[in-house]
Amino acid sequence: MEAWTVWIVLSVETIAAGGFMLLIPKITRRGLLFGVYVGETQSTSDQARAITRGWYVVMIAALAASVVLGIGLALRDPQSPKGALVSLVLLLGATVASYLWAHVRSLALAAPGAPVSAAAFVADQRQSLTIPILATAVALAGGVIAVGYAWWHFADLPASMPTHFGASGRPDAWSPRSFRSVMLLPILTLVMCPMLGAMACLTARAKRAIRQADQGVSFDAQVRFRHAMTLFLSGVAVLVTVMLTALSIDSVRVGLGVIDGLSPVGMAAAVVVFIYALGGSLYLMLHFGQGGARLEQSASGAPLTNGLADNTHWVLGMFYVNRDDPSIFVEKRFGIGYTINLGNARALAFVAIFLVLIGAIIGIALSMPRGHAPIT
Amino acid sequence: MVIQIDRRLDEPAYEQAARQIRDAIATGALKPHELLPGVRGLASDLGVNLNTIARAYRLLEEQGFVQIRDRSGVEVAEPARRAPAEASAALRDELWHVLLRMRQAGMPSAGLRREIDRQLDRLLTPQGESER
Repeated sequence: MEAWTVWIVLSVETIAAGGFMLLIPKITRRGLLFGVYVGETQSTSDQARAITRGWYVVMIAALAASVVLGIGLALRDPQSPKGALVSLVLLLGATVASYLWAHVRSLALAAPGAPVSAAAFVADQRQSLTIPILATAVALAGGVIAVGYAWWHFADLPASMPTHFGASGRPDAWSPRSFRSVMLLPILTLVMCPMLGAMACLTARAKRAIRQADQGVSFDAQVRFRHAMTLFLSGVAVLVTVMLTALSIDSVRVGLGVIDGLSPVGMAAAVVVFIYALGGSLYLMLHFGQGGARLEQSASGAPLTNGLADNTHWVLGMFYVNRDDPSIFVEKRFGIGYTINLGNARALAFVAIFLVLIGAIIGIALSMPRGHAPIT
Repeated sequence: MVIQIDRRLDEPAYEQAARQIRDAIATGALKPHELLPGVRGLASDLGVNLNTIARAYRLLEEQGFVQIRDRSGVEVAEPARRAPAEASAALRDELWHVLLRMRQAGMPSAGLRREIDRQLDRLLTPQGESER
């Protein structure tokens, strides 16, 4: 039963990831082609269409191969969900290879010269930060509650602590009681949830890349997209906080023997996070398009400006590096949402702190001794 | 209103920004006490160094077009009711040199007068009326 649940989740993820990849060319801002600014006219040329067709062919083939492989491995060993993971990895590998192929071909069509920098001369609304700041506060409170609860009951816990739970909510792995085994999940909650909140705050102040002389259409589209993305990430931060806080408290309560397995709150929150993330991403893609591309159709012939149009600041069309630009978050050229400006010291510090903390938590998790029954 | 920086021009980026803001104030597109974008937000949207925008705002403050307030940001300044004597003399001198350069560039006296009248009309007619 539990293996099948993991199978279903991984299979849905594989199909969703493949479906998202097929959607990307449809939601990209006009003028961009696989991470390269080729100009608004060139992006609809026969050469550009041929590159996009190649991408569709490879991605459809990879998705079909992943599904067939997944079904084959499921029939061979229904008890192990590793097959679903293999098909997901196959799809991701094909995506990376196909993107690089399309990117290199698009570079031949790259628009020459430095583009004009342009910005709408409008002050940012202070209230646009209210919701992400509230989400960050909720995330911080959840983390503090999770850590405080575990710390408060630390001395009362038995010699063996549950450290992993199956899909039914029952513990299926235990470790000897230690600071690491008790505090790992609460500390993860305290680190990860405020980070998600901080990402929502940074998104609310992300760079707005507009088009030249389009009567404000692209600016309006940008503002609406950025606001929607901020709300989406704020929602993710709150839901993940509810999920991890509930799981942290539940794991201590299971350890104390108060309950047998995870409570419905944590389990339901996990399902809601999954549905919200999937549905929200799909809504953002279909309604707004990347950076509001679908809202700026009437003005999509006007040239893009700095940030998105300057090929000299993009590495592989994925990584933005501009030391002069004080932006922390900038719009992605390929995909949906925002990416970090790797030329900005504050952005690099944010990434470094996040990586160090997550790396430390993963290291602690991997180093913990673990058994499949309570350790006495 | 859109502000643009073109790095291909010889004019420094901060002067390009200051010139466009000054024009917007002169034509009434930006009204007195209107709040301007923060330095960081505008520099971020333009993808230019923070100093570029900070320098443009400082230049505009020196010229009396904006007021920089620490907490509430930068706002458009009310035009001074009476220019101090020293500043008036300096500006008159500047105008004299501009006129000299125009004549030296070959503009005839009649053309010079027409240009002065045109620029005065542009300055003194509110933007809404000139668009009509």
